[in-house]
Amino acid sequence: MPTPAHSRPAADDRLSGLLRNDPASLRALYTAHFGTVRSFVLANSGTGDDARDVFQEAITVLWLRAREGTLAPGTDPGAFLFSIARNKWLDTVRSAAHRHMNVVHDQRMHAAAVEPDDGVEERLARLRAIYERLDDKCRTVLDRFYFERKDLAAIAQELGVEEESIRTIKYRCMMKLRAQRDAIGGEDHERS
Amino acid sequence: MSNGVPDRPTFEAIEAYVLDRMGPEERAAFERRLAGDPVLQAEVALEREHVLAVELGGLQRSLKAIGDAELRKGGGPAWGGLLKYAAGIALLLGVALWWMMRPPAHERLFAEHFTPDPGLPVAMSAADDHAFHDAMVAYKLGEHDEAIAKWSTQLKEKPSNDTLRFYIGCAELNAGRAAKAVTWLMPIAELPGSAFAAKARWFAFLALVRSGDLPAARALPFTEDHPYAQRAKAVLNDLR
Repeated sequence: MPTPAHSRPAADDRLSGLLRNDPASLRALYTAHFGTVRSFVLANSGTGDDARDVFQEAITVLWLRAREGTLAPGTDPGAFLFSIARNKWLDTVRSAAHRHMNVVHDQRMHAAAVEPDDGVEERLARLRAIYERLDDKCRTVLDRFYFERKDLAAIAQELGVEEESIRTIKYRCMMKLRAQRDAIGGEDHERS
Repeated sequence: MSNGVPDRPTFEAIEAYVLDRMGPEERAAFERRLAGDPVLQAEVALEREHVLAVELGGLQRSLKAIGDAELRKGGGPAWGGLLKYAAGIALLLGVALWWMMRPPAHERLFAEHFTPDPGLPVAMSAADDHAFHDAMVAYKLGEHDEAIAKWSTQLKEKPSNDTLRFYIGCAELNAGRAAKAVTWLMPIAELPGSAFAAKARWFAFLALVRSGDLPAARALPFTEDHPYAQRAKAVLNDLR
């Protein structure tokens, strides 16, 4: 559901929190807008799991656009998320496997602007493929440093390892990622 | 940079730039360097993409956790009361099961006294140490089988290396294979002049306790001035 004007500051806070990967902002964004998407998906032959999948994909698109600075100024996160999730679910419903489903038309289906397809799906797929190449131990360290934005001392304490070791592990993991990219012969460069 | 791979200082400078952790002067200097260096520009773009990929992975993990919690919340009020009763019964059953199946005294004592060896610091060092440190990274992150496999390969070239043998033993113990750990640690405990001898004796003692071989644990001698003598004595007293 679009965010009412009086709660726009809260929406802005959530967006800036999302940019910082702040867990509380992410949770607030989720709880504020998931219900609308779930109602829509459930009313259109979907399940709770379907709703969760399209909503999480919508948040991911919102996050990437915010990170890349391609969100239009004053974007209402609620309307944006609903628009993306709705389009994704309708694509699913229209697909061959779901042709028997009955789509309930809703005024909100026309209310939010349709997001232009500017290759965001391809970029997300490429970034996911990069992350897939990391082993668990690298993810353990890199997630904490780059996503949770913890400092090396905090990570070292959590993992019971010296700070200097964490620094080295981080460097080695990032170089492994680079080496794997080189090893696949610039496949990513060709795709991008 | 060497062989096209950024060395650690260069990597960390790029990282500080990408994460916006540079002061104004440092940033300006970096940007001047960046403007005339296409290789550095490519490295910045690559690191930006890798950081974004890691962040995306973290975001998806967080979303999954929040989503699972939300779906549980959406279970409906009719189930709420039943779930409370079910949780209560499960708790009682859990306590009863725990009481019946709690570990024997020697395993509890092992858990009480055992602190895994933290391993050696992993630093950037000579190329011939790289393989050792790579395994040490796995050890520190709890990937014990990976560490054992890597160190075992190195041990073929250096069969008398006490560092390798000690840490293979530690990794076996950390992985819960106490009897196997004893076979690695006991020879180090008896090795004159080894820097690992004292710790190896203590870990071998704990491994014997863990595996329930209490006669062997009691028979393992600790001299009065051994750094772990008092702790070993305390464990044996508790086992009586």
